[in-house]
Formats: sequence, C-alpha cells, structure tokens
Amino acid sequence: MRKALLIAALATAAISTPAVAQQSAEQQLDQLDARITRLEDLNQMEILQRTYGYFVDKGQWTQLSELFTEDATLEIGGKGLFLGKHRVLEYMQTAFGPDGAKEGMIANHMQFQPIPDVSADGQTGWIRSRAYVMSIGGWGLPLYENAFRKENGVWKISRLTGPFTMYTNWEGWGKNALNNTWPDKFDPPPDLPPSTVYLTYPAYYIVPFHYPHPVTGEVFRPDTAEVGAYAGPPGSAEQQRWANTGRWVDGSQPIAEPPKD
Amino acid sequence: MRRALIIALVAALLPATPALAQQTVEQRLAAYRERVERLEDQVAIENLQADFGYYFDKGLWTEVAALFSRTGSFEYGMRGVYVGQDRIQRALLLFGPQGLAPSHLNNHMQLQGVVIVADDGRTATGRWQGMVQLAEPNANGIWGVGIYENTYVKEGGTWKIAKLHFYPTAMTDYDLGFMKSTLPMEGQSALFPPDSPPTEVYRSLPGNYIPPFSFDHPVTGQSLKDLPQPPDSVLGRK
Repeated sequence: MRKALLIAALATAAISTPAVAQQSAEQQLDQLDARITRLEDLNQMEILQRTYGYFVDKGQWTQLSELFTEDATLEIGGKGLFLGKHRVLEYMQTAFGPDGAKEGMIANHMQFQPIPDVSADGQTGWIRSRAYVMSIGGWGLPLYENAFRKENGVWKISRLTGPFTMYTNWEGWGKNALNNTWPDKFDPPPDLPPSTVYLTYPAYYIVPFHYPHPVTGEVFRPDTAEVGAYAGPPGSAEQQRWANTGRWVDGSQPIAEPPKD
Repeated sequence: MRRALIIALVAALLPATPALAQQTVEQRLAAYRERVERLEDQVAIENLQADFGYYFDKGLWTEVAALFSRTGSFEYGMRGVYVGQDRIQRALLLFGPQGLAPSHLNNHMQLQGVVIVADDGRTATGRWQGMVQLAEPNANGIWGVGIYENTYVKEGGTWKIAKLHFYPTAMTDYDLGFMKSTLPMEGQSALFPPDSPPTEVYRSLPGNYIPPFSFDHPVTGQSLKDLPQPPDSVLGRK
C-alpha cells in the first residue's frame, strides 16, 4: 500500500506540470524525455502485438517465440498455462505444426483495437487488444490482455493471455458455435491448468480490464452473482439453463463432463 | 530493501541522467524535437494510408492517385506495376467506375499497421493487413484479405505514397468460404497494360505466399525479408 502510494507520488511529481516555473531547464527536459519515451513505448507494444499476429498468420513460430521474454507465460483459449519462451515455441509447433506457411491454408489472426499502457517507471506495459480470425475453417474472436517488459531497452511480451470470445465455422455464429478449448483437447499438455474457466459464445466471459475506466476512473468489477449467457429471451427455459452454465465470477464453471467436439 | 527499491524507482524516473548531463540544453532540445517529429511522421503516414483506403473504397480514383509521389508506383496482385499519378489514375478504372456505382462494394480496409520511419525522417515503410469486401451487380459477394507493403516519401513537407504494393493472399465467395472456394487473382490488363510486370510472382490461396516484411524483427533485429516460402505444387517448390 505504502509502496503504491510512493510510486503514485513519484509518478505525479514526474508528470504534472504546475510547478514548471520553478524547475530548471534540465528538469523540464527530463520530463519531456519521459513523455516522449512513453509515446515511443506505447508504439512499440502495438508493433509487438501486430507483429505477433503477422507471425501467427504464416506459422512463423520461431520468430514468434522470439517476441517473448525467457520467463514469459502463454495462455490461449481454455488450454491452460505454458511457462517459458521454450514452451511458447513448443506449444505452437506441436499444436499447429512445424514452422512455415502451409499450402491450402489460411489462418489469419488480424490484430485490432489495441489499448496499450505503460507503468510510471517505463519498464512494464500492458495491452488490451483483439484478434479477428479469418481462417480456412471459419471465423474466430480471441481477446488479449497481455503484459510486456522492457529488457535492456527492448520491449518483449512477458505474458500472453488470449481468452476466446467466439469461434464458428463458415456458416457463421447465427448457426454454429464451437466450444472453448480445454487442457487435453490437443497436444502439448499445459504446465498449469487454466487460470480461469469460462465458456465462449453463446455464453460469455468479461475479461478483466488492466486499466480503470478512462473517464470515471472506476475499476471494473465483475458481478458478484452468477453470470451466464444470453442464449434466449429473459425468463425462458433456455435462458435459465444458460444462466447456470456460463462462467461464474469466481472462475469456476459447472462442467460435469469434458465438452465434446 | 525498501530504500533500494525507492532508489531504483527514482533512477528509472530520471533515465540516464549522467550521460545527459554532458549534453547542452540545446542538444537535448534538438534530439527531442527529432523524436517528436518521427512520432508526428508516423501519425501522418497512418492517416495517409487510411485515406488511401477510404478513397479506394468509393472509387475516388482522382483522390487516390493524388496521394502518390511524382514517381510513385501502384502494384496490385498480378496486375503489374503502374508508375506515376496519371497512369495510376487510369489503371484504377480497371477496378470499377470513378465514384463507384450502385450494387458495387469495393472495401479495402487498412488495418494492423506497422509503420517504421527512417531516422532522417525522409522515408518510411508500412505493412498493413487488408481485409477486402467486394460486390458487383448480378454476382455473389466476395470476402478477401491481403497484405500491403508500402514505402512513403516526404516531399515538400508532405508525406506521399512512393510505392504501394498490395498482395491479395486469399479471396473467396461470400457464401462458400475458403474451404470450398478460392478465387484467382486478376492478371495484367491487355486493355491498359502495366508499365512493368509484377515484381513478385505468386498465387493467392490455395497458395500461401508470405509477402516479405519491410521491417526487422522487433526483438532480435533480424531481417524478415527472406522467410522460406511454403511448398507450392504448381511451382514444384517443396
């Protein structure tokens, strides 16, 4: 708590400008440098996120893994957590095949709508972002809440968290919806189970935001009650069923049996 | 421990003070002005490319052509290369009438940009993801996607497109989807031939061509211009 206060105080001192008149030129330049660096850092995180997408598109797994820190974690869909850069590479190459684009395939993970942020000390970053998947099998919507770290002046991905919103085949989400993935759906097995268990569309899961509301400053808090899916009109039996099938806010999910394809 | 953390924090907030102390105020101001200009350049180029898309969508060929530098070039798939604003403006009529027309859709979205401005602020490169939605009368709609790899040049203080290269990578019938339908690219026009043939010969889906990256790997710094291309049964490439 005290530490947080101190950081906030330092950050305020470094950024706010009312006292400018009493500051030396050097002090003002220091602040200017910090502000420019912040913009450059936000840019770099967007570039990393977009480059990640371009590498996924063409199966460039080695280059993709090199975007990560040695101790990075990766969690995609409901597959569980993979620990370390080498496991990021193993996950990609085992689940999706060796490096390289494959004839007859399209697996575009187009990276849109990034909201990057950087810590006051400029060494840690976060991004909320999304992928729009256009693939041979249909459409998909992963969301991202990722973290970044600056190592020796170079930004890298330190945590990739990519929960799914919706996956469907070419018939579209009006007719078809695929289950979320789960730890033993395909190889390799994860190092740790999923951090959160949730269902994808037509159920829903509101991925926590790394930042407060930009206008009100309020921190987003999930409902304390059960939250299910809007799968039918309010009051209908179908909606009642989904209300108890969607994720619960404590991360638990009442699944009796593993979902089947 | 806590004090060490505070010292570290303070040090981080005042980055590299020892080295900066040797620079004069004027030197520091000049360096920061450069960095701000590079950021402004990037914003200008992002807007330029977005403008290209908005004009292209609606068949505003006069406006599209005016975004190019005097020696600017336009290359779309296998249609070949057109050079200069006049040639580009006429070549664009191959995509549809000026100002579009009823029942036409020519959306070329400009997304996922990675813009790198050269240190001297005179040139820049950009890679973009190009989602495509097409329609014309009496034909089913088309979904498509491709990659732009462009270069830009600052002429008289204004950023212009020096080279625009769109690589369509997959096109399909709206209802059928990529698994059942892969539409081929248009070739070179016999009616209004290009100034030179395509700079890179490839095919869209079922091919899976990797347009060379204009920018280096953001962490390792290695070039991404020469990534191995996928096997292609037509070309006999394994």
